[in-house]
Amino acid sequence: MSTHYSEDDLTLYYYGEAPSAGFGAARRKADIERHLQQCSDCARLYREIADTLAMVVAEEAPERGERYGLEVWQRIRHQLPEAEAKFGWFTGFTKVAGLAAVAAMLVIAAFIAGRFSTNPSNLANPANPANVANSANSANPANPANPSNPSNPSNPANPSNPSNPSNLGNPGLALLVSDVADHLERSERMLTDIMNTSNPGDISMEQGWAEDLLSTSRLYRQDAVEAGEQSIATILDDVERNLLEIVHSPSKISAADLEQLRRRIDAAALLFKVRVMSEQLRDREAAPADRPSPRASTSKIS
Amino acid sequence: MDATEAAAVLARARQGDSEAFRELVERHGRNVFRLAFRMTGNEQDAEDVVQEAFLRAFRQLGRFESRANFGTWLYRIVANCSVDLMRAKQSRHDISRSESLDDAVELPAIDAAGPDRLAQSAEIQARVREALSGLSPLERAAFILRHHEGRSIEEISKTLDLGTSAAKHSVFRAVKKLRIALAPLRSQES
Repeated sequence: MSTHYSEDDLTLYYYGEAPSAGFGAARRKADIERHLQQCSDCARLYREIADTLAMVVAEEAPERGERYGLEVWQRIRHQLPEAEAKFGWFTGFTKVAGLAAVAAMLVIAAFIAGRFSTNPSNLANPANPANVANSANSANPANPANPSNPSNPSNPANPSNPSNPSNLGNPGLALLVSDVADHLERSERMLTDIMNTSNPGDISMEQGWAEDLLSTSRLYRQDAVEAGEQSIATILDDVERNLLEIVHSPSKISAADLEQLRRRIDAAALLFKVRVMSEQLRDREAAPADRPSPRASTSKIS
Repeated sequence: MDATEAAAVLARARQGDSEAFRELVERHGRNVFRLAFRMTGNEQDAEDVVQEAFLRAFRQLGRFESRANFGTWLYRIVANCSVDLMRAKQSRHDISRSESLDDAVELPAIDAAGPDRLAQSAEIQARVREALSGLSPLERAAFILRHHEGRSIEEISKTLDLGTSAAKHSVFRAVKKLRIALAPLRSQES
């Protein structure tokens, strides 16, 4: 037989995985089996792989007693974040609600006091200029009571309004923020790998990784643009450009090319930006949904 | 603990009930240690991973989807904590581990006879351990998951948050490096 199987194919075969899963996988397996009986080169290579892997036997983990879990608990319990800090949205909510109730009572009290201290003749006389001014004032766009004023909480443009898409009360946005934070952390790991590679050589593994990240990044960037999250879109764009460089570099990279790749990442302060943005997103994620979250789109990292 | 009870404990833990979380730690502690030991190959590192994994799990419980399997979710956290710990150790000790297959270290031959004897000998195991320590954290993790844990490439890619091709490449590179490093032992066998 003229064609030989690669070491990678034979490794997958050893582990019982078809080189390409899906339809025809079983047939491919049978083909390899038949080929190994006929081709001495491939049979030798397969034997080498099998013999090597047979040597790697699992070491027995040291035994841990029945109470091991409890011991671990004792070690970590003091390091756990306070329940209130971690799951504080509910307790935070009750505190906010309590404060809001107190504030509402004060407003009502002030209103009643105002009513009683106002000259009754003024209240009764609709022609009183002060009253006219008051009614005109309520239509004034600058008046906080006016629904069209952006500072009015009932205005959808107000970030504190849950209907505002920038608020993480919006489940789609919350999901995007969480996904992008995960994605940036993965990208950071990959870029760190590139920065820390001790020697130039084969970066095909990192390239495969970068390729996967690249396709995900494009989807998230599109979502970020649609959600009006410009700063997320910008950082994803930066990340993509560098991922693209990695993907398009030769797999057997030279020291000079690797250095150039690193310099580009360094010059863009990419790792720093990625880290800061993922932290910001984690903060937004942790922020309770019922209060305005700091808009990442307003804090540009440069 | 039956499934309903376990779900109730998990639900309470997700609400921030630390007593419920204690039950989860007690229940999964030993399995987590076993996996951490396999991933790191070192008892002390495994203990560090156990601790960090549970702390991370507690911090991320809010993101855990209740319909998912907690054990599987925790498994992923442990695997990733192991990779992170090995990476941190690598950079702390500034081990310039070779990424190039051409530079994979070939270990010298040892005197022993018979494949069975070889496989069982402590020396062989020490050589294998040494060869495993020559892998990058990601290669080692992917290899351990495939070889010892019997996870498919698809499962490895999900566990380590990698694309399928990256997971596959990690396993391939690990096998290549091991084949080079353990070649002298194989020649003893044949």
